[in-house]
Amino acid sequence: MRINKLNIKISNIVILIAAVSFVLVAPRITAGYFMMVVNMGLIFAIAAFGVCVMLGIGGQLSFATVSFMGFGAYFVANLTSGRMGIIMGSIPVIILMIIATTVVAFSIGLVLFKLKSAYFTFATIGLVQVSWSFYLSYVPLFGGPDGISRIATFDIFGFRAEDFHQWFYILVVFVLIVVFLVERIKCTQLGRSLAAIRDNEIAAQTLGINIYMTKVIAFTIAGVLAAFAGALYAMHSQFVSADMFTFERTTTYIIMAMLGGVNNTKGVLVGSMLVTLLPEWLRGMQQYLQLIFGVSVILLMVFMPMGLAGLVTSVGKRLKRKLHVNKKLATSTGMEAKR
Amino acid sequence: MKPILRLDMVSKRFGGVITADKVSFSVKPGEIHGLIGPNGAGKSTIMNLISGIYLLDGGNVYLNEEDITNIPSYLRARKGIGRTFQTPRFLQRSNIRDNLLLGADLANQFGFLKSYFGKKVSNFENEVAGFMNLLDFTFEWDADITALTYGQLKQLEIIRSLLSHPKVILIDEPAAGLNNKEIDNIMELINVVAKKHGIGVLLIEHSMDMIMNICEQIEVLNFGKLIASGTPVEVSSNEAVIEAYLGRDLDA
Repeated sequence: MRINKLNIKISNIVILIAAVSFVLVAPRITAGYFMMVVNMGLIFAIAAFGVCVMLGIGGQLSFATVSFMGFGAYFVANLTSGRMGIIMGSIPVIILMIIATTVVAFSIGLVLFKLKSAYFTFATIGLVQVSWSFYLSYVPLFGGPDGISRIATFDIFGFRAEDFHQWFYILVVFVLIVVFLVERIKCTQLGRSLAAIRDNEIAAQTLGINIYMTKVIAFTIAGVLAAFAGALYAMHSQFVSADMFTFERTTTYIIMAMLGGVNNTKGVLVGSMLVTLLPEWLRGMQQYLQLIFGVSVILLMVFMPMGLAGLVTSVGKRLKRKLHVNKKLATSTGMEAKR
Repeated sequence: MKPILRLDMVSKRFGGVITADKVSFSVKPGEIHGLIGPNGAGKSTIMNLISGIYLLDGGNVYLNEEDITNIPSYLRARKGIGRTFQTPRFLQRSNIRDNLLLGADLANQFGFLKSYFGKKVSNFENEVAGFMNLLDFTFEWDADITALTYGQLKQLEIIRSLLSHPKVILIDEPAAGLNNKEIDNIMELINVVAKKHGIGVLLIEHSMDMIMNICEQIEVLNFGKLIASGTPVEVSSNEAVIEAYLGRDLDA
């Protein structure tokens, strides 16, 4: 028991120290470009948390991440770049964006979840293609192939994020908030309902869970998180174009979540950072990148289906068992000595 | 006393196979009502029709004299139909606490938003402890559900259902795969459920010991048809029942 509790505490402390030192050290040792890549990792993590809610907690595979990212990004782009004749502040525009996304995602969810399991997933692939076509071609709202530029950077109470280092701290705060919200979902009725749908739909029904509505709510939450990430992306890059919202991109978020451990927010954060940073570190092997990527995804699914977080817990459990056995041996031999 | 659960001419067919043929019976509050029959007689189908996993082809189901024939299963559960399964259905990736909380969630039903900001479910652990007193094992709240044995899971599933404060509980073969001690405990638990909490119990079981011991009323099903109903004594001397279980003697 006591060893048990101690172990959990130790692992939490290790994570805390790693996180704090990352936040303190990363901006100091990184130059502008690399800082930007780190920031991207944090932004993508927010979208990947949406996958975490849908796939990790609820067991529903949706490819719609980029559709909603695009929605959030273009929403902010239109209202802060002046191309619609207005330039709004960041906070009001983000609030408006969240309300709009909630309505849109909820309505789309109502329609798409008339379909079950794989059919739902296929429908989301369709959604990605449709939204991408619009983002690429419809000039009045999305600027066409040129995208939208001159988007205002993030500002709050008169403070404006001018460089990537300032952005880094802002993003860390946002990521922490989202991690907290997602972690909280897990220990609520919604989280348990989703877990019940994931593991056993029949049991869920007989426990009074409205499967359809619960899935729609999860889809809405994932949509809002993706749109929030999209909005931050637009403000951070001050430019959006449709090539951020292709089908290929959407698979990346699922890989980020799967790599880290789809049900584990810390894991998803690590997964997002890895998937974003690795291509930079492996720049020398550019032409093999896709190959390495593909092979690692297959190996990942074979050897650690629950991702890095799953690996950590299973290793932890094994260690714990060893400790326990050793202790038992020690006590039993002690008993014998007494005799 | 008014019945809490009433089936009226309930029918269901899968293709050409009739699994429920105009089945009518009722369960009173606090009554332990047995549902027996040979394998494939349609017992579990009846439970699935009551809890709404299958839709009826004909007839009606009433809960507390309210017609629930056409409402979805999750609403039936919220109205007070609890159930357990032949093989326990738990969330394999969650711990014991979350698994049991699912039952308490159904009793509380305060919606997602309130549960997001609200406090923990009160009395939950005490309630569980009260039921666990009747049983012969203990568990750690934060242990994985996979740490429990099959028999323990079957017992815990009944408790999960009880936490939702059902008006009637459908228990599907609680004794299968359990040892004698566990069967005794489950019988005591079912007795407390019915007599102390006044919950109507519909019980499917193959162990005749258990059925004859605790049921006040028994329905016998064969090929989807009710072939007999009555007290344990009446049923066990019924010719049609003996025939269904043992087969017809050719010389007779």
